Amino acid sequence: MAIEIPKNLSELPTRQTRFVGRGIRRVEDAALLTGRVEFVDDVVLPRMLHCAILRSPFAHARITRVDTSAAEALEGVVAVVTGEDAKRWSFPAQSSPDGWGIHCIAGEKVHYVGEPVAAVAASNRRVAEDAAELIEVDYEPLDVVADPFVAMQSDSPRVLDDQDSNVMMDRIFTWGDVDGAFAAAPHVFNEKFRWNRLGANPTETFGCISEWDPMELNLTIHGSIQSPGMFGLGRAASFGLPSNKVNIISHPHGGSFGGKGGTRGCDISCLLSRKAGGRPVKWIEDRGEYLLSGGSQAWDRHYDVSLAVDADGVVTGLKVGLVDDLGATGEAYGAISAAKPLAAFTGPYTIPVAQYDLKLVATHKLPCGPYRGMGPPPHFFVLEQMMDIAARALGEDPAEFRRKNFIAPDAFPYTIPSGNEYDSGNYPEVLDQALALADYPALRAAQAEARAEGRLVGIGVASAIEPGVFDWNAYAIVGMPGTGVPEGATVSIDIVGMATVRVGFSLEGQGQYTLVSQLVADYFGYEPESVRVVHVDTQSAPPSFGPGGSRLGVAITGAVLGACERIREKMCRVVAVLMQTEPENIELMDGKFCLKGAPGAEMTVAEVAGTMLGRSDLLPPDIDPRPEATHVWTAPGRTPADEEGRAKSYLTAAQAVHVVQVEIDRDTGMVEIQRYCLADDCGTRLNPDTVEGQTEGSVVQGIGAALLEEYVYDADAQPLCTSFMDYLMPTVFDVPEIEKVAVVTPSPFTPLGAKGCGEGAIHTTPAAIMCAINDALSPLGTSAREVPAAPARLWKLIREANGGG
Amino acid sequence: MKSAPFEYAAPSTIGDALQILAENDPDEVKLMAGGQSLMPLLNMRLARPELVLDLGRIADLDYIRETDAGVAIGAMTTKRAVEESDLIRQQHPLFWESTVAIGHPQIRNRGTVGGSMAQADPASEYPAAAIALDVEMVVQGASGERIIAAEDFFVTYLTTALEPGEILTEVRIPRLQPGTGWAFDEVARRHGDFAIVGAVATLALEGGVIRDPRLVIFGAADRALRLRAAEEAVAGRPVSDETFDGTAAPIAQAVEDPLSDVHASEEYRRHLAVVLGGRVLRVAASRAGGGE
Repeated sequence: MAIEIPKNLSELPTRQTRFVGRGIRRVEDAALLTGRVEFVDDVVLPRMLHCAILRSPFAHARITRVDTSAAEALEGVVAVVTGEDAKRWSFPAQSSPDGWGIHCIAGEKVHYVGEPVAAVAASNRRVAEDAAELIEVDYEPLDVVADPFVAMQSDSPRVLDDQDSNVMMDRIFTWGDVDGAFAAAPHVFNEKFRWNRLGANPTETFGCISEWDPMELNLTIHGSIQSPGMFGLGRAASFGLPSNKVNIISHPHGGSFGGKGGTRGCDISCLLSRKAGGRPVKWIEDRGEYLLSGGSQAWDRHYDVSLAVDADGVVTGLKVGLVDDLGATGEAYGAISAAKPLAAFTGPYTIPVAQYDLKLVATHKLPCGPYRGMGPPPHFFVLEQMMDIAARALGEDPAEFRRKNFIAPDAFPYTIPSGNEYDSGNYPEVLDQALALADYPALRAAQAEARAEGRLVGIGVASAIEPGVFDWNAYAIVGMPGTGVPEGATVSIDIVGMATVRVGFSLEGQGQYTLVSQLVADYFGYEPESVRVVHVDTQSAPPSFGPGGSRLGVAITGAVLGACERIREKMCRVVAVLMQTEPENIELMDGKFCLKGAPGAEMTVAEVAGTMLGRSDLLPPDIDPRPEATHVWTAPGRTPADEEGRAKSYLTAAQAVHVVQVEIDRDTGMVEIQRYCLADDCGTRLNPDTVEGQTEGSVVQGIGAALLEEYVYDADAQPLCTSFMDYLMPTVFDVPEIEKVAVVTPSPFTPLGAKGCGEGAIHTTPAAIMCAINDALSPLGTSAREVPAAPARLWKLIREANGGG
Repeated sequence: MKSAPFEYAAPSTIGDALQILAENDPDEVKLMAGGQSLMPLLNMRLARPELVLDLGRIADLDYIRETDAGVAIGAMTTKRAVEESDLIRQQHPLFWESTVAIGHPQIRNRGTVGGSMAQADPASEYPAAAIALDVEMVVQGASGERIIAAEDFFVTYLTTALEPGEILTEVRIPRLQPGTGWAFDEVARRHGDFAIVGAVATLALEGGVIRDPRLVIFGAADRALRLRAAEEAVAGRPVSDETFDGTAAPIAQAVEDPLSDVHASEEYRRHLAVVLGGRVLRVAASRAGGGE
């Protein structure tokens, strides 16, 4: 029997939703706030050892000798592994593009500073670190390339010996008659931009305990793991194990934002466990390791962008040239970040044709990984700067210029040139709400006064799309195969009617257990606190990807409601048998199964469950007597990518408009954010408090991107920002009050009409702040084209504009 | 991130501490006050002393005492205690402002006055305030007590005039003369960060004319720098834009070899020194009595 997942709140089997759509108290918080959650570093296993990793101080060097004898002789040391062990017992990392992965411990060469060279398992971490210092390594330094433009030259030092060049990919994607559009355009604008390397910094770094079973060849890994299913498949590939021999137990963890990679360190701890005869080996990545060589870095980009605009100020074409410096290998999947903009290439605008000249380049820096937003935030930073450049040149207000180019509310579903389909939206309404919230005319009036006093006050208006509910097909151009990402949930009701939901992901901070409890509570008439949500390991869990790509809220809603539907359908049959009628005559409403048209003829969920489990002898043999169901949800209607990368990929398109006011101190270059207003539309808000939290956190990360965060390397590819003294994230003092207003345009394609919203504001914030900064600078005739807009950079621009130099 | 092995001693009197210092190779001993700088250095294995001598249990070094000349602060007094002292806030406002600009409450809860002075970080607020205020550093060693003027105390990067075997025990801040104007300002990437550049000033006004100006910048050189040429450029002159603008050239000249790092180039630091130097002098003048 087919099930139908409710597409809006009114289809839930309740007269009035009590929990879904409301900001309820999170079910996760009591345990978190009272310290009763078990993080991976809390886990102590019998005979457990501790790992420390020795890392390369060179960006490029030949290893001529590794002597581990002194380390092995230290009391407490049980195992030491080097590149030889990695080569013997593991495969090079999988990568995107294919063929750009290397072993987890360096063999003949090191390729970036921080690359593991050897590792120790010892009785405790202190001894392990002492032992790592005793390992003697001789290096023969080789020429280094830190600049992707130099790296692309044929005579550049090569990063990987088995590749012909450092160019991982060089392709031009053309969607429509781009040359024609630019030839016909009366206005063509061109500008270069630089987005410096930054990245995720979760509260907790990666950690794991790996246990290699030498008899059964099973691998068990506890860890702070974002996507346990994928992580298990990756480890199986690393060690040539069948996937069902790897069990991943993910523990609640302190955030990720894409930074929970950890695969290298995990593989190293697996090698150590194997060498130590199967003893569990714990590796806790410390912050120094994380910043130097963890999942910390992303988006090291050089852009060259052109915009074609017709006589009426309508944008008719977009060309984006991107040289993306992915660092030494493709193992951290930084290439995906270059592919994802295809899901929203032309932003919220009707730009009919577009081109993407994409060059992925290897240098001797840390391999780039994922970061919240996964690539579009820099893309929208450049697109929105181009929109402002065009508006300014044509003498148009930046808000109205955007409005003119918006996709109209009645044009959805709307297919963009790069192939994705936007589900729904009301962009003019979102713009109106943002401008009203900010009192835009008053802001402009105040700005005029400030300018008359010689102050550098600027207002930025920016809009962006957040692609939600990712699909692998969006990344087809960088070699990710396949379409479809499953998310499953198992809902079980016990003999007294209590519900437990088993999911395949652990707590990470987004409040998805609360969402699950809200859904089941409204569906079956429970209180959310009475719904138990448990994470199970990968050998028991339903198929799951977990959080990522702004998908889990939507996907888990589909999975949970699907499982609830299956239980309802089964229970209707049971009740029909007991009431001697047909299942179609039974209806679930507010936790009771009722015989239609017969008031009082009803059974509670608990009564039905009790009957199924206690009296299955009364049921016909074709009814499964368990009040339990699993549903695996995948996004409907996804399509494989064509040759030009076009696909129906991300299922939803949330949209936002941010209005920001800044003032720049013209003597110091320091930027103060004076107002921050935003309107956003992510469809139905399943838990508005959660959406608000996601939005605020994402604005903060966007502020970091715009003003503070940057991993600096010198010309020898030596990293200069390896602690929080130098890698600067916003603190509470750097974040203004964030004023917010919601617009709700439900998605026609998703469970309950929700859209992905987990990555959120970082798509728009850097763009909006830079628009404001450039608005402030415009009277000086200069503009900032590089993020972060550090005070030294802005001061230099101001000084040069004033004729200094 | 675990420190290399070290011995640890935590004496409860200054006498015991000096004794332990005398018994060990001073190059192999690190004194620990609040540990806000030392602990990261230990854990990153950038410092590898044989012995860490923790002064945290010496209760006799934790006090804020009003004296005839001003105030005496025990070296192990936390910055938080200074921040919460009405005496400091009311009578030594420049020192108080320098205190609250240091780090965050968590850091000030642990960090000490003596620890910051002895650490002598060139971007630290306290050395600059100490020089501007003519602070006296009270030092004890095997041969007894001696007093070092602040300007002589800070030698260069992380280096003071303390001899091996000596411990900074007290910081004496003279009371400002009535009517003295003062100011503190700094540019940091974020609130609570070490300054890129900062400046402090004090001055008096006599009939609208500047007397006894003091101008010290920090973060721009290997130590906090007193800018005598800039002081001379404003001394004896009326409060005016022309007077303050006249400090630009001597400040720029004095900042000969500024630091350069990922946050600020040499030329940006030199420029900030000029900007902040002018700003603090203007603010100090606006706060000084006797302007009319």
